[in-house]
Amino acid sequence: MNVVFAVKQYVSKMIEDSGPGMKVLLMDKETTGIVSMVYTQSEILQKEVYLFERIDSPNREIMKHLKAICFLRPTKENVDHLIQELRRPKYSIYFIYFSNVISKSDVKSLAEADEQEVVAEVQEFYGDYIAVNPHLFSLNILGCCQGRNWDPAQLSRTTQGLTALLLSLKKCPMIRYQLSSEAAKRLAECVKQVITKEYELFEFRRTEVPPLLLILDRCDDAITPLLNQWTYQAMVHELLGINNNRIDLSRVPGISKDLREVVLSAENDEFYANNMYLNFAEIGSNIKNLMEDFQKKKPKEQQRLESIADMKAFVENYPQFKKMSGTVSKHVTVVGELSRLVGERNLLEVSEVEQELACQNDHSSALQNVKRLLQNPKVTEFDAARLVMLYALHYERHSSNSLPGLIADLRNKGVSEKYRKLVSAVVEYGGKRVRGSDLFSPKDAVAITKQFLKGLKGIENVYTQHQPFLHETLDHLIKGKLKENLYPYLGPSTLRDRPQDIIVFVIGGATYEEALTVYNLNRATPGVRTVLGGTTVHNTESFLEEVLASGLHSRSKESSQAPSRSASRR
Amino acid sequence: MASLDDPGEVREGFLCPLCLKDLQSFYQLHSHYEEEHSGEDRDVKGQIKSLVQKAKKAKNRLLKRDDDRGESGTQGYESFSYGGVDPYMWEPQELGAVRSHLSDFKKHRAARIDHYVVEVNKLIIRLEKLTAFDRTNTESAKIRAIEKSVVPWVNDQDVPFCPDCGNKFSIRNRRHHCRLCGSIMCKKCMEFISLPLANKLTSASKDSLSTLTSPSQSPNSVHGSRRGSISSMSSVSSVLDEKDDDRIRCCTHCKDTLLKREQQIDEKEHTPDIVKLYEKLRLCMEKVDQKAPEYIKMAASLNAGETAYSLEHANDLRIEVQKVYELIDALSKKILTLGLNQDPPPHLNTLRLQRMIRYSATLFVQEKLLGLMSLPTKEQFEELKKKRKQEIERKRKLERQAALESQRRLEERQSDLLSRANGEVASLRRAPAPLRKAEGWLPLSGGQGQSEDSDPLLQQIHNITSFIRQAKAAGRADEVRTLQENLQQLQDEYDQQQTEKAIELSRKQAEEEDLQREQLQMLREREWEREREQFQAASLHTRTQSLDFREIRPFQLEPSREPHTHLTHALDLGSFPVQSSATAKTPSPSSALEPIRVWSGPPALGQEFFPQSTMSQQDEVASLNPFDEENPSSPTAKGSTSSPAAEPSFGPPSRILKDYNPFEEEEEEEAVEGNPFTNSNSPAPNPFDEEDEHPHQRPSSPPLPGNPFEEATCTNPFEMDSDSGPEGEEPIEEELLLQQIDNIKAYIFDAKQCGRLDEVEVLTENLRELKRTLAKQKGGTD
Repeated sequence: MNVVFAVKQYVSKMIEDSGPGMKVLLMDKETTGIVSMVYTQSEILQKEVYLFERIDSPNREIMKHLKAICFLRPTKENVDHLIQELRRPKYSIYFIYFSNVISKSDVKSLAEADEQEVVAEVQEFYGDYIAVNPHLFSLNILGCCQGRNWDPAQLSRTTQGLTALLLSLKKCPMIRYQLSSEAAKRLAECVKQVITKEYELFEFRRTEVPPLLLILDRCDDAITPLLNQWTYQAMVHELLGINNNRIDLSRVPGISKDLREVVLSAENDEFYANNMYLNFAEIGSNIKNLMEDFQKKKPKEQQRLESIADMKAFVENYPQFKKMSGTVSKHVTVVGELSRLVGERNLLEVSEVEQELACQNDHSSALQNVKRLLQNPKVTEFDAARLVMLYALHYERHSSNSLPGLIADLRNKGVSEKYRKLVSAVVEYGGKRVRGSDLFSPKDAVAITKQFLKGLKGIENVYTQHQPFLHETLDHLIKGKLKENLYPYLGPSTLRDRPQDIIVFVIGGATYEEALTVYNLNRATPGVRTVLGGTTVHNTESFLEEVLASGLHSRSKESSQAPSRSASRR
Repeated sequence: MASLDDPGEVREGFLCPLCLKDLQSFYQLHSHYEEEHSGEDRDVKGQIKSLVQKAKKAKNRLLKRDDDRGESGTQGYESFSYGGVDPYMWEPQELGAVRSHLSDFKKHRAARIDHYVVEVNKLIIRLEKLTAFDRTNTESAKIRAIEKSVVPWVNDQDVPFCPDCGNKFSIRNRRHHCRLCGSIMCKKCMEFISLPLANKLTSASKDSLSTLTSPSQSPNSVHGSRRGSISSMSSVSSVLDEKDDDRIRCCTHCKDTLLKREQQIDEKEHTPDIVKLYEKLRLCMEKVDQKAPEYIKMAASLNAGETAYSLEHANDLRIEVQKVYELIDALSKKILTLGLNQDPPPHLNTLRLQRMIRYSATLFVQEKLLGLMSLPTKEQFEELKKKRKQEIERKRKLERQAALESQRRLEERQSDLLSRANGEVASLRRAPAPLRKAEGWLPLSGGQGQSEDSDPLLQQIHNITSFIRQAKAAGRADEVRTLQENLQQLQDEYDQQQTEKAIELSRKQAEEEDLQREQLQMLREREWEREREQFQAASLHTRTQSLDFREIRPFQLEPSREPHTHLTHALDLGSFPVQSSATAKTPSPSSALEPIRVWSGPPALGQEFFPQSTMSQQDEVASLNPFDEENPSSPTAKGSTSSPAAEPSFGPPSRILKDYNPFEEEEEEEAVEGNPFTNSNSPAPNPFDEEDEHPHQRPSSPPLPGNPFEEATCTNPFEMDSDSGPEGEEPIEEELLLQQIDNIKAYIFDAKQCGRLDEVEVLTENLRELKRTLAKQKGGTD
């Protein structure tokens, strides 16, 4: 169930099968991302893969002394490129791997193009998704829906990605989906269709309890992607943005050239692996330790190594020192930038109010705090807008809802039209009308008790009170209590036992906060393994883009938000 | 968790303890281990077990961390419970599903290829026919006839338009026939195949048919000779007639096919330089992969002071490996610069390839070369060996103690029996027995084994010191005081007797000095408790001066008093061994093993007999009954007479002592035999080796002076060693320097590679200095 490992195994197998000799890896745009998530350059270099080429790059040179490993998505363009490639082969021998099911006719046209008999292998290796963490995958699709329905191209890509995931993990699951979402049902049906069609592929050893695929829709929980995050991975994504493990630091003031873009990968960065789920304060102290440690090992500037023993010690520590210096400067820069942004944007205060909006039910206090922050000049328009969005989502139907006043405040603050419109769009996207379940007020007795107890105990960390809705859903699922009227099974058969292997897929994108939740659930519940996936992994910014792309806000004008908008004009 | 806290922990994780292969998870490691190393030593299984424990511990740590967080309320799962697993630790999974289309692909391809091959072959056969005759000297009409006979030409009337470009044929736009397939095209679409190319194609196919000799032979030379004759003629005729003397008309399709064919031929012949170099490079890397682990094993063993490998051999191997590294470096450099000076500079990708190969070679060198630990110098090695020997001795001693204890338990029982029948000693020992239950201090196990067996007085001292310690630990001050008084008395007694015999003993002292020193050193290392050191300081000199084996007899007369003192303090001597041995961890070893153990620990001898008081106080060290050891013939005899009930090999020592002093005799013999070559440092299992030292030591240290401790400080065997080998030291130093220089060079290179100029500077500086030192040293020794 480790998705990183699954993809890595595929790539390793490809490389191994091609035997010794210099190799070139021929990929397309997407597979480049897929491979880069699981292998680092130096790692793959050790396996004699020296060149990485795009199949669509026009000026590749003929290098007959290289073996080519092609890892491609089975798209029309890729097949065409490959046909051209085989007609005039640039490399001595080709090992072709498609990341998904390829049609027989494509195989035939490829075979007919291979007049020089350079192809040694044609296989399907189902590494057709971005493996972010061992339990988190993404398809890097932004804007998967039009309105409430799938963009057809994205539906097929998502189906492919999800079925590839199942194949790579060798799971043939039962499917449950969120009833309130049409998109979830559609996707569930598409996946089922593929499983039925490719039944031979999905013939795996039966496990006692069949795995479960749960398909959810982002619009059921629009709160989570709107919150500021305080654990390392989530925070980096929220404030700096993680794109295929890469972080663009070029906007950081005074950044040195080689740190413009850094890679944060738990696979080969031990510090990151150990700290990605820790909160900001813990990371601060760990960074300090790292620094101190580094200082100890670092040869003092221009220090003469007086004795041979000194020199020896230095030389023996050198590789480590070198490796460490890279890690240290990277993390110090990243954490430094994070804390700069936290200070600059007054994020501690903002986050506190966000958490209050998300987790508590005190309308007047919340409103007061939001109003107060809107007056604060340090709070950016982005943060101001999201506070109002959170307010709008939570107190959408509150009797003394004063959203119009807040929108007016936003305007007074000088927040751009784009963000003001987004407030209504977000409500349209994830408002009460859409949600299948209640985000804010716990229904059952257990949950109420829990909240009560929580209130009694007091909250130790105001910044991380929020628990994604996914937690409750999964908790119920694991305990076998997830209601079938809200999350029905696709098809007649149902799971009698508690599920053991769970794959959760969020249409419209998951978040790193949810990834953390799943991570903790995995560690807290023996015997249950959960993998989280999404069309993408969101931060607030990308989530708002997703909302924008769904095109809901145009409709909002004439529908439910109309009165509030007119009120705001007053 | 700062991951890089500890350099030692960097390679923590699921490393195979045998091959250091990094495995992703514990399960994989386990299966890897079972597959790869199941046949190997069982010790290692223990190692892997500890690894498992480590992994578990690590897991616990993780969980605890989670727990902490849970407590701090940041996560606060109500459903929290232990036993879940970090996704990183999920059990291994097999390769995901795959599906091969190869057979399908091959089926389709085969059909296509057959067709293609037939086409190509047809063209080549035709080409051969077309070039088989002497074109230049044949009339054009005749040529045309031959050409038409090779392939039937398409009828002109059938083709009104050029099939390739679609232009209409007319008087101006004339039809041309492809000589290879007979089809028609316009002039624009017409291609030619030159004779050299034709020759190359046909000869290559002939070659491939007949033999596999290099097809590169001679299209050029053939063509050259022909061209000479052509040029004069063609200039005349070709203008009018468009007669093709040196080329064959064909259509683009045929030309394409043939060109592809040519390309294939070319590739078959050609191996680019980079491939050759690269192959060499890989060979070198393989060699390193093979040799480096071997070396590392050696170096680790040597650095631990083991003697399984020779230092020279390891050094040779190191040099060999380093040479391979240099070769790798050189080869990759050569690859990097390949073709850089050529006129059309190589394609970008070629350069990129070269850079990447170089980079990966650098990575390889860095990773592996820097993993090569350095070897100890000869001098260091000696020291390491010594340390290890001591380590081993200590361990052995512990074992022996355990063995002795169990042994002694038997003895105790035996002497219980004996006490009634005979032996005043035994009865003396018994005396305190009734008081056993009194809250007594246990003598420390280390001391008792030896002391009980050797000398009642010493034993007493031992016990009391250990009582003191225990009492102190328990914080009973008054008991400590009385005990200390008691001890003082005992020691005084002992000293007195010793001085009486001192003169007799002086000779033997000298013999044993070496051992003493060694023991002392060991003792110092161990950091004895302060109180004992004080005691030592107080009583050392007087007591150590005079040691006599014969004084044992008087001691034995004395015990009558000792028990009384004990009694007064309500301490039970006799019972201690029994009690303590009952708690001893090691079970009684088989009697067959025991003698070996006993023999294997010679240092105990020195401890017990010579610096008696010191040793007796530091009773952990000693563990043996030296008399048993010294007299290999006696134990059985004695045992059979004195203790028929139990352990025949270890008779009650008191009897031996009474009969005679075997030790003295032994010493005498040794002295005569005098084997001075034995190395005092090697952990000799045979105590005779140790004895051999004594004669060796004798000449080196003045035999007469009464205080061995003074000598001990000045005649340190280690110092002697180093004095004798000053020459050996320098070259080693030099070698180390060379190694350092090598290493630093590698770093400089690496730093340059990465463009860290400041590092380069520091390193260069160091390098220079090293070189200077080296030069100086060379100047000094030469």
